[in-house]
Order: sequence, then C-alpha cells, then structure tokens
Amino acid sequence: MIPASGAAGRRRVVVTGAGVVSPLGDSPAALHRALAEGASARKPIELFETAGIGCREAGEIRPFDPQGYVGERNLRPLDRTSRLLVVAAQLALADSGWAPGGQPRPAGAQPGPARPPGEPSATDPQPAAEVGLVVGTTFCSVRTIAEFDRRALRLGPTHASPLDFANSVINAAAGQAAIWHGLRGVNSTLAGGEASGLQAIAQATELIRAGRADAVLAGGAEELCFESFLGYYRAGRLCGSLDRGAVERPVPFDARRNGFSLSEGAALLMLEEGSAAAARGAAVRAEVLGWGAAFAAASGEAGMADAVARAVRLALADAGAAPAEIGCLSASASGSPAVDRAEARGVAAALGERAADLPVTAIKAMLGEGLGVSAAWQAVDLVETIGDGILPGIAGLERLEPGLPLPLPETAPAATRRLEPAARRRALITAVGADGHCAALVLGAP
Amino acid sequence: MTGLGAVTPVGTGKEEVWASLLAGRLGFAPVASFDTSSFNVHLGAEVRGFSPARYVRRQDPGRMGRASQLAIAAARLALADAGLGGEPVEAGEPVEVTAVAPELAGVAMGTTSGEPREVERFDDRYLAGELDAVGAEFMTLYPCHMIAAHVARELGFAGVNTMIPAACAAGNYALAHAVDVLRAGRAELMLAGGADAFSRITYAGFSRLGAIAPERCQPFDRRRKGMIPGEGAAVLVLEPLDAARRRGARIYAEVAGYGLSCDAHHMTAAHPEGDGAVRAMSRALADAGVAPEQVSYISAHGTGTPTNDRLEAIAVGRVFGAETRVPISSIKSMLGHTMGAASAIEAAVCALAVANDEIPPTMGLEDPENDLDYVPNVSRRLHVEVAMNNAYAFGGNNASTIFRKCELS
Repeated sequence: MIPASGAAGRRRVVVTGAGVVSPLGDSPAALHRALAEGASARKPIELFETAGIGCREAGEIRPFDPQGYVGERNLRPLDRTSRLLVVAAQLALADSGWAPGGQPRPAGAQPGPARPPGEPSATDPQPAAEVGLVVGTTFCSVRTIAEFDRRALRLGPTHASPLDFANSVINAAAGQAAIWHGLRGVNSTLAGGEASGLQAIAQATELIRAGRADAVLAGGAEELCFESFLGYYRAGRLCGSLDRGAVERPVPFDARRNGFSLSEGAALLMLEEGSAAAARGAAVRAEVLGWGAAFAAASGEAGMADAVARAVRLALADAGAAPAEIGCLSASASGSPAVDRAEARGVAAALGERAADLPVTAIKAMLGEGLGVSAAWQAVDLVETIGDGILPGIAGLERLEPGLPLPLPETAPAATRRLEPAARRRALITAVGADGHCAALVLGAP
Repeated sequence: MTGLGAVTPVGTGKEEVWASLLAGRLGFAPVASFDTSSFNVHLGAEVRGFSPARYVRRQDPGRMGRASQLAIAAARLALADAGLGGEPVEAGEPVEVTAVAPELAGVAMGTTSGEPREVERFDDRYLAGELDAVGAEFMTLYPCHMIAAHVARELGFAGVNTMIPAACAAGNYALAHAVDVLRAGRAELMLAGGADAFSRITYAGFSRLGAIAPERCQPFDRRRKGMIPGEGAAVLVLEPLDAARRRGARIYAEVAGYGLSCDAHHMTAAHPEGDGAVRAMSRALADAGVAPEQVSYISAHGTGTPTNDRLEAIAVGRVFGAETRVPISSIKSMLGHTMGAASAIEAAVCALAVANDEIPPTMGLEDPENDLDYVPNVSRRLHVEVAMNNAYAFGGNNASTIFRKCELS
C-alpha cells in the first residue's frame, strides 16, 4: 500500500535538536547517561497523598522548577502538564538553535537560554518562519479537569475557576506552549495512550513531507497526578498493584513482571525539512526515515501482536529499509504482562530472522511509563544512541519470560552495550498502547 | 466524501438532520442530564431518546462512555449511507463492512472532552468520600482515545486509529488528518468525525465565562448573548476518488483542502484581528487551489458569543474582502455548540450543501451586526460549487476545510 521506499523525490525530515524533562534528567545527554547507568525514576510520591493506595512510588520529577528554565514570567496560568511542555519546548528550541517566536537564529549563533526573562512572546506579526507543535498526550491534565469539576460542585458554578476551565481542554498544553513561545504554525494534539508520542512524531513528519510545515516540534507530555495514579492502581496496571509482595519494580519482558511504574515528563524533537535545516546551518542529529501505525481491532494478545507487526512492517516499507538493516530496537515494553508479550511477538513476526540477534532496550524499566511522553522519550534517547552507539540495558531484567521470541542474551540481559557503527545506521522504535494503538518509527543516522 | 452519519439535537441520520436544519428547527430545551438549579442559565442542546443498543452491536454499550456510543451510531449511519454496510439492524448480527481489507480502513475522531462523564463519576465519589468505589472502569472508559478505539473495534477497522482532542475545532482536525492519511496511501477508507457528550464540566465552564445564552442562540445578531452547549457526533466516509468511482459510490463532494493554524495569543479568546483564522482560511484556499471569489458558501464557526462572531466577521472580511457577498451561516443557531462534534457536523452540512445546492440559515437573526450575508432565518437554494467550513478552538487551534462539487466524469 505504501510505495516501497518513498524516499525518492520526497521531502526529507531531519532531527535538529531535542528538549526533555524527565525524572532522570533534563537534557537528552543526561537522560541517556542515566538510562545507560540503569538508574531508576521511582521514588516515594510527594505530589499527592497516597494513603489508601497500595503503591506509593512513581517517576515524580522532584524538584521541578520551571522558572529555572523559562525565567520569571507568570507561570500561574499553566498547570503542571503545560509547565512540563513549555520547558521541553524551551529546551528543544534552544538545542536546535531557534529563537522564540518561530524565528531561527542566524547560522552559527550559539544556542543558549532562548528567552531573556520577562520578554513577551510573539511580538512579530510576520515571522520569517512558523514553527509548528504536535503533542501526544493521554490526559493532558485530568487533575485540572477534576479539580475544576470538584470546585464547581463544592462552591457552586459561580465559583468555578475560569483559569482551570481554559486548561481543561485536552489540547491545553499545546495551546499554552504555543502562546509562551510564539509558535504560530500547525498546532495539534494527539491522544493514543502509550503510542501518543510516536503518533505525534509521525503526524509532524507527514506535515513536513506534504509541504505544510518546514519545522515542527513533536513529542509528548504527561503529568503524574492523583487521579490517574489511583485509576491505574485500581485497574491493576501498576507494578505491585495486584500481587502484594511480588516484585515492585517495572521489569519489561521479565517472567516476574506485574505492571508498569507511572511516570511523568515532556519531550520534543525539533523536526525540520532537510534542505531548510541545511540552509540555516543546523546540526542534523538523525533523520526520520519512516513510520507505521495500526490498530488492534480484535481483542486479545494475538490481535495486539498482529497490530504491532503491521506497524513495524509499514514503518520499514515507508523507510525503504529491510529488516536486516535495522540495527537496534527501543521497545515500548513497560512491565505489563500481556502487552509486553504481544509486542515481542509482533516485532519478531515483522523482523523475521533479524529478530534473532537484534539489540533491544526497553527504557521504561528505568523511566517508567510516561504514557503520552513515553515514545518521545524513546525517540530522544535513540537519537543519542545513534550519536554515541550506547544502547541502554533493561535494568532489573533477570529472568526473560520463557518462550518470548526476543533475542535478549541468556546471561546478563539487562546490560547496557555498545553498538557497532553499522548497527547505528537504522534504529527502530515501537510504541504500543494497551488499548490497541500501535506505532513504529525508523530513525536513521545523519 | 461518500457517506455521512450524524446524531444531533435536531435529529439522527442524514435525512432528519438535513431537513431539520433547512426548516430552521431548534434543538434547545432545559437541560435534562443534570440539575441546573444552581446555574443562572438552563438551556442545553442534548440528544434526546438516544438508544445506544441499536447501534453498539459488537460491544457492550454499558462498558463505554456516551461519546463513544454517539460516535459508533454516527459511524454506522455513515457507512450505511455510503452503501458500505454497517447499518444497524433490529435483530441479529450487524451487516459486516466488506468493501476494503480491515487493515486499510482507519478512524480519525475529534473531541473536546472525551468521556467527561467518567471523570464526573470519579469526582462524585471523591466528594462523597467513596473513592473505594472507583474500579478498573475509570481507566478503561475515560481516556479520550477510547472514542476512536470503540468505533474501530465495533467495525473491525484495523488501520490508522487517531484521536485528535483539538477542542472545538477537533472535527475539522480529524477530517484534515484523514485526508493526509488517504493522500499518503496509508488507507483506502477513512471514517473521520467528532463526538462529545453533554457535560456538567463544560456547562459550568462556559457558564462561568458568561458565554451561555439564557434563551436563544443568535449568531451574528447585535443582541446575541452567547452560545448554548450541546452534544452529538458526526462521521464522514472518505475514500480515494478513483476507488469511490470504481465501486460506483455516490459522491457528495471532494474534500479539496484544509488549513490549520495557531493563534499563539490567548487560551480562550481569539486574536483581536483574527490573524489565526485568516491564516487557516488562506492555507485551506491555497491547498484546494481555490480563489476566495470561487467560494459559494461559508459554514461559520458562529458560536453566538459576542467576541467570536465579531472576530470571525473581521477574519472573513480580511480573506474575502470587506464587501464580500458570500453567504455565511451558522447552524449552531439551531444545534447549539456540540463541541468536538461541531465542525464534523458542519463539514457534513457543507458536503450536503455542495451536493444539494441548498444552504441552511442562521436562525434568530433579526438585527445583523454588519452587512455580511448571514442567510437570515430561511434556507436558500443556490449553486454551491465550493463550501468552506471554519472552526476555532480553545488553545488558539484554528482549522478550515474546503468541499468542492465532484462531477461524475
């Protein structure tokens, strides 16, 4: 269906920078280092009371001081999700050498803090170029929505908060970040659970390929909050929420896994059309070669595995890459019993013989499940892997589930490893949503 | 565009909705789904007498939220309208969709609030001190991506599945995304639309902003007092033109293009000169290769709030010229503001206008704010070659889509 290797004559999409906020670091390099060291994002939650909840730990970003990144401008109108995204956008713009308001810095200018404190955004009504923003999220802020509702119920509708209402829409963070940084290009929000971040990168890629945009920030954002934490606990999805006394850490692909560890953050890649990036002298870190998406319409593990396999095949076809050319995989696996298994089976089905010795990481072992931001974290980290050849291990993985068709080594499956240069030329990401949304992305070395 | 289905406050299904809109029927009534005695406004545009079990056949309608139920109904009606099966039946199994392979059939849906009633249920329990009663259903029902997921599971659509929560422009965003998916050859059939359920959260929010009209919704009238919240769903069937012709499908219109933009100005107020709206309309015209003077009809965002309608008129004037006579109407004068469903319903209406050479009126218009042609109170017959659908949202998300007559040649 997709033209085999659409590369000929197509506008190329390159990665010229990234911004990341996570419990394991606030730069791509710092996050990558922490993942390679096998650090854990889990810590006792202080954001909200966990009394009455059997799980007490999550990937909370603490301390989170947005003003340390964006200066003294008024943050009050922004809820936590919007603050996370505004900071990630700030860091991504600076990292890729864009000034606020969508105007690129002159080639060769030093990227630095993108905005002096207090400077208003978007004063130029005719920016030279317009940067777009595509954000993946599951909830944006279910906390803001619920707080708005509860306040109106407690005090009456005349005391409802107009500020919270403005932030109650699920595209609020994308809107707030656009206002903050003066981003007047395409602005879109996609919700696809754990696949949201890859869906966002895919949509941004299509917008650039189609000539609708030249530069788009794409990734995801998700906050940690009481409402979703309790919700996932009650749904039995968190590690430790079903089997008391069982392993209480997320161990993707491990026979002992019993759930994921909820986490929060934001991450954005700066995606640019290849020749435009070259024209302004931007450093190219990686190229988006192709993507695929599929949905598990049939319930059960087989349906999910089939959707994963289709997404991977479509991504390879879009990238014009054969399975043998894929050098490594950043898997979506989070420690969820059924979903991890379906992912492994789907990837193996799509890659065939190549799956037998493919280097695999699953960074949610360290970072936890960030829902809308997860796949964007995977992409940011894999760009680092393409750069330095270091593929993080899978911390805590001791006993690979028997029969799992995954090429993890029998011994020391958790270890971080160094890839040969040839294995860094084409890298695959899979993102699998528990509700059936599957996506895959092929990144290439510059 | 070869099929459409809609569930709205003025009727269900293409014939009923179109007849109601041409006749100027209003969908407003005192809100029934929650108690409004603590509010100073009481009207809403709810879908009455909706029977989920009639449409939700392969899943348990009790295990999904109302927006999902409305979306599935609209999707089944749309497929049946396109002659692709899927129509609801009184007994037995639903007709299967067989026109394309399941993996080449996708879903793109928009919404403002997703399934707000699920978080409302959570909040009721929170305030009653009964959080112990929250079970697995909160996370299996509430996330907004479940709307697109439920539609796809119901129909067995295994291709692209995208949920775009772009607030009150979400229907147009979903439509735009579906167009890109088809143009890129990633699907052979896309269902695109929007859905939202009536919600006390939405009602309280717009009430607090002073944006809800107490008695009438009168877009573009000098005395307009606001919008009236509503609910509903609409789904359009989109196919590549050659595929539609091959199977001899009736074609309502070609989706000729779209334009998106962001104000980057204010979360709830549009740019004072309508900059974002101008850019969305201009990009849509360029994408479609259509000059402003070729546009026969504009379906306005037209909420009925003083600010929206004033700024929208400014933006239309900037794109089409201050003296333009292009007819502009707002069906929100009848349907209220159905949130994420609104621009999907309006897109369906644009396609019907193109197909039928008739446009619905702006009701309640007695004293127009300016000299633009708002098609006051009476529907009109005219040749509709090209229709433009405008939608604007919180977060400064703007989207315009364009529909063009598709001659059978």
